[in-house]
Amino acid sequence: MEKSFLIAGFGGQGVLLAGEVLANAFMHADKNVTWYPSYGAEMRGGTVNCSVKMSDEQIGSVQDDTSDFIITLNQASFDKFTPMVSKGGTIIVNTSLAKKVKTRNDINYVFAPITQMAEECTGNVKIANILALGILASASGLLDLQSLEKALDTVIPEHRKNLLPLNIKALKIGYEYDLSTANV
Amino acid sequence: MECLTGKKILTKGNYAIANAAVMAGCQCYFGYPITPQSEIGEFMSGKMQELKRAYVSAESELAAINMVIGAVSTGVKAMTSSSSCAVALMQEALSYASADELPVVLVSVMRGGPGLGNIYPSQGDYFQSTKGGGDGDYKLIVLAPSTVQECADLTYKAFYLAHKYKNPTVLLADGMLGQMMEPVEFKKYPYPEIDNSGWALTGAKGRDGRIIRSYAPLAQDRCEFLKKLYDKYRIIEENETEWEEYKTEDADIVLVSFGSTARNAKIAVKKCREKGIKAGLLRPVTLFPFPHKRINELASTAKQFISVEVNMGQMINDVKLAVNGKVPVELINKPVGIPPSPDEIVRQIEVYNGSTSF
Repeated sequence: MEKSFLIAGFGGQGVLLAGEVLANAFMHADKNVTWYPSYGAEMRGGTVNCSVKMSDEQIGSVQDDTSDFIITLNQASFDKFTPMVSKGGTIIVNTSLAKKVKTRNDINYVFAPITQMAEECTGNVKIANILALGILASASGLLDLQSLEKALDTVIPEHRKNLLPLNIKALKIGYEYDLSTANV
Repeated sequence: MECLTGKKILTKGNYAIANAAVMAGCQCYFGYPITPQSEIGEFMSGKMQELKRAYVSAESELAAINMVIGAVSTGVKAMTSSSSCAVALMQEALSYASADELPVVLVSVMRGGPGLGNIYPSQGDYFQSTKGGGDGDYKLIVLAPSTVQECADLTYKAFYLAHKYKNPTVLLADGMLGQMMEPVEFKKYPYPEIDNSGWALTGAKGRDGRIIRSYAPLAQDRCEFLKKLYDKYRIIEENETEWEEYKTEDADIVLVSFGSTARNAKIAVKKCREKGIKAGLLRPVTLFPFPHKRINELASTAKQFISVEVNMGQMINDVKLAVNGKVPVELINKPVGIPPSPDEIVRQIEVYNGSTSF
């Protein structure tokens, strides 16, 4: 089995970090995995994305034309990456910063006010990226919370370990998000 | 990052190279930052000082490579790292280091050229590293990793081969390998330490002084030296040529691809096989020495070779030399950026062969 993921948003939303956590989680689950950042002359406030690929076999290309799961944390990313969701794939949309519009009927939409949820439930908007990973875990069924928690512990450096409980809380809130209402 | 062994970590190719260099016993790092390899210098700036080894932020790439020449003249392991347009500045020093027979290690993380170019991945420095831009008859040993794990493993090997053969050695990666993350495990440096005491400049206490120089005013001396140098290159070719083969046993079409591009070529071979196209892959791990002999052998049974590269077609020249006219050699390339996707490669293979030929 091989699955591809893309996470996109504003520079500063923790897109690359979320990808790193995701990739670490797959590594902890004994999968082959690659992480590749959007790469080029970028500026503060511009869009940023990273691709994560997971496979039981050796991984070839690190970035494909389409991805099975895409998280878009802002409007620009939602507009840009909707066409790049694989047929039958899933897009997770942060409706705090993007309008709920369905332009395709061959993919699954998961709408969630990710930034707002982060702020209301944890008091910290910066944690939206990790909350989104929680949603991805439940929407994809490809990851368990333990792998993600272990990945957070791996990625968060020693001098920031005090933030680990907050991150795990955000992860759980995302994971428990009611998907039955997320498609409308 | 820690210098741990026996534990898988997820890290960028650049950090894998830097950490492996530290673990290989690199005593001195000299460098000047350039994208897409700046993480190497960044890592070294902290780690080398922590370990009380030498780190110098050089005033230019020219200075950095000449500092490496100075350091390795004393027999220690030393390196620099850079990228395309800045490796161009180092060509003179690489020629000198070849003539001086010094174990210089250079990590070259390719980006788009020519000129200042851009920071996207590229394989445009195949010529630069294997044919060289310095003067005279010389060859660098060139190792081409394809995964982040190989970035680490071949860094170890670069130090070993450089010292074993007293020859400048290049680890040729690219922006994609430098920037991507993949799980990697750092093993202990697996090679024997080379005794440099017979030639290194360590102060002449208790022995005669030594001179390392490339200047050879007498024609006869130079003739003898070059013959000796080329004898060494022949031995390197015999002993150190390394490549990977995938489904080549019965292949009609043999893809030849190195580095990050070979990853996609391998998947393309898988996809071809699913379609009933008998494709295979030969991936040179050493670009010098190049697996000429093996490619020539395969050319007796294969019907076509295709060089897959991210440049305008450079390695294809060596493939053609190796095939020596036995069968056609085609090119599938992308000028710059991430490699052509496996599907694109398969499409091109079908174009070259008509969809019903195989």
